[in-house]
Amino acid sequence: MKLLPLVFKNLFRKKTRSLLTIGSILLPLFVICILGTMLRALDSDPSNGKGMYRLIVRHKVSITNWLPAAYDPKIRQLPGVVEVLRMNWFGGSYVDQSARNQFARFSTSDADRFLKVFDEATVVEGSEKEWVDDRSGLLVGRLLMKKYGWKLGQKVTLKGDIYPVTLELTIRAVFEAPDETGVYFHHEAIEEALPRVKGFVGWYWIKTASLEATERIPAQLDAMFENSSFPTKTETEKEFQNGWVSMLGNVKLLVTSICTIIVFVILLIAANTMAMAARERVTEIAVLRTLGFRKRQILGLVLGESLLLSLFGGVLGVALYALLFPGFREAVANSPMGGFAAGMKLFPEILAVAFAVTVFVGLVAGLAPAVRSAQRSITDGLRQVG
Amino acid sequence: MGKPLIRIENVVKQYTRDTQVLTVLDGLSLEVEEGDFVALMGPSGSGKTTLLNLVAGIDRPTSGTIHVGDAEVSSMSEGALARWRSQHVGFIFQLYNLVPVLTAFENVELPLLLTRLSKADRRRQVETALGVVGLSDRMDHYPRQLSGGQEQRVAIARAIATDPTLLVADEPTGDLDARSGEEILVLLERLNHEFGKTVVMVTHDPKAAARAHRLVHLDKGVLKEDVRAKEAAGSIGLAAAVEVSAGK
Ligand SMILES: Nc1ncnc2c1ncn2[C@@H]1O[C@H](COP(=O)(O)OP(=O)(O)OP(=O)(O)O)[C@@H](O)[C@H]1O
Ligand SMILES: [Mg+2]
Repeated sequence: MKLLPLVFKNLFRKKTRSLLTIGSILLPLFVICILGTMLRALDSDPSNGKGMYRLIVRHKVSITNWLPAAYDPKIRQLPGVVEVLRMNWFGGSYVDQSARNQFARFSTSDADRFLKVFDEATVVEGSEKEWVDDRSGLLVGRLLMKKYGWKLGQKVTLKGDIYPVTLELTIRAVFEAPDETGVYFHHEAIEEALPRVKGFVGWYWIKTASLEATERIPAQLDAMFENSSFPTKTETEKEFQNGWVSMLGNVKLLVTSICTIIVFVILLIAANTMAMAARERVTEIAVLRTLGFRKRQILGLVLGESLLLSLFGGVLGVALYALLFPGFREAVANSPMGGFAAGMKLFPEILAVAFAVTVFVGLVAGLAPAVRSAQRSITDGLRQVG
Repeated sequence: MGKPLIRIENVVKQYTRDTQVLTVLDGLSLEVEEGDFVALMGPSGSGKTTLLNLVAGIDRPTSGTIHVGDAEVSSMSEGALARWRSQHVGFIFQLYNLVPVLTAFENVELPLLLTRLSKADRRRQVETALGVVGLSDRMDHYPRQLSGGQEQRVAIARAIATDPTLLVADEPTGDLDARSGEEILVLLERLNHEFGKTVVMVTHDPKAAARAHRLVHLDKGVLKEDVRAKEAAGSIGLAAAVEVSAGK
């Protein structure tokens, strides 16, 4: 349209004001992208659907209560169970308690089954066999290798807290997977130092044969142990993860509310700028109409300016986010919330929502001033000599 | 002289503020011939701007009819009026009213953006209009880089860009010093004379009014004086008429 250059020039008539407004749209949109990605990451399935074939069996009371290691054969004989993996949370610390040195440390009684249950993981350095064969061997996520500059064959010392032992483990294999923020070693390494822990494990992972099995087994399995001294609670991987999220409080509602408030704030800022711009141009708009500009053309000029203003901020905000995303993801991956990074992507739907927010803000902010400018009678406009 | 271009018949214009009705024009009738140069005078608040706006089709009378050429502007729809204005009327304001973020060229081009003219045709017409007002060398200047007189000349170029038949000017020299004002009046005279534009100009300045061929004096919404200058001694006769109306 021939009037577009005029819209552009109008937008930067008050440069400082426009730039400040663009900035106050840009930054909130950047934040919305970050929050939206986190929110979306909570819902995402980094295992690419493999989690649908995994169940977790824990003590009915809490995951911190142990289960007998001897449940293994009983679980295994249920139809639809492909593999069973006994896991345990070691906790402890590496070097010190600083946030930089936080990562998940697990032990397993069944190292040879680990990659069968977590089959989205592949060993990229060393070998599975070397890890399985070495009782003090350590399996490490690739990301941690990079973060700490570890080398294959290097010794890593983990100091226990729940278990009063200090373990000296050797890196035997490195795995690549959506979540690379954990280390895994043999439960025997703990048992050798602390014989009293023998016979107990933290929880069981089950690999199922079918979705039917995934659906059927939990009730069946929990019924089996209901009246024992160690009752169980069996959930799908997804339910288990969501359980963690809801433990954080209603994060989603909170984040969504924050985003909504942000949208309203930028709406007010943009609307204020547009109202000022339109008020300053009352006479000028009357002159344009005198020259033969139609009401709808005036509407288009003001609305177009508002849209452009918002788009400038929004598109820059989204672009900035897209640009900084890899760094942001890495920062999260290296933080104590590392596991979260697995689900983080440059979600196209988040970018689309951000863009839609931008358009919405532009149109709504400009609507009232645009209609008022178009509706004002020419003679009234001309009489308002500024 | 030619046939009437403007025919105002029995026009009443009232403004209603709260319950009070203000009658600004009270049954006014007036004809302006094509190619004429009319000065509209009268005390402040007498309804000069109101009359000018009605003739130019940016306002509509409460009752009565106004014809300009073949168009009855008093009864046209808003959209039709907008199109009519863009083709037939050029406006000149006291405060020039240029768009500050546009260059002289772009300001003059504004009314042409509403036409189907190609970019090249628009350029040609803008250059012609700026040439007529003697500002060919200032095309890329912004209003703030121009003097008041130059700004008004750009505004006149904008008014004639679409080659309208009628030019209306509301105190075009009201904000200018004597010399710049004189230049503007000479320009309006030329547009009237050389280009055949019909000019209706509101002014408070007797010297400006003396340039016109006809002087219409408005007071409290009715015509008080209507003096036609003699072809031969035009300006002298008018000046005398001005003395009379100013003296009473
Ligand atoms: N939109 C309006 N609403 C109410 N009253 C109005 C409106 N427009 C004009 N008037 C009134 O109509 C009267 C005539 O106004 P107008 O602007 O035509 O006068 P004028 O002769 O041009 O005066 P001036 O020489 O000061 O420009 C004034 O009393 C003015 O207050
Ligand atoms: Mg006036």
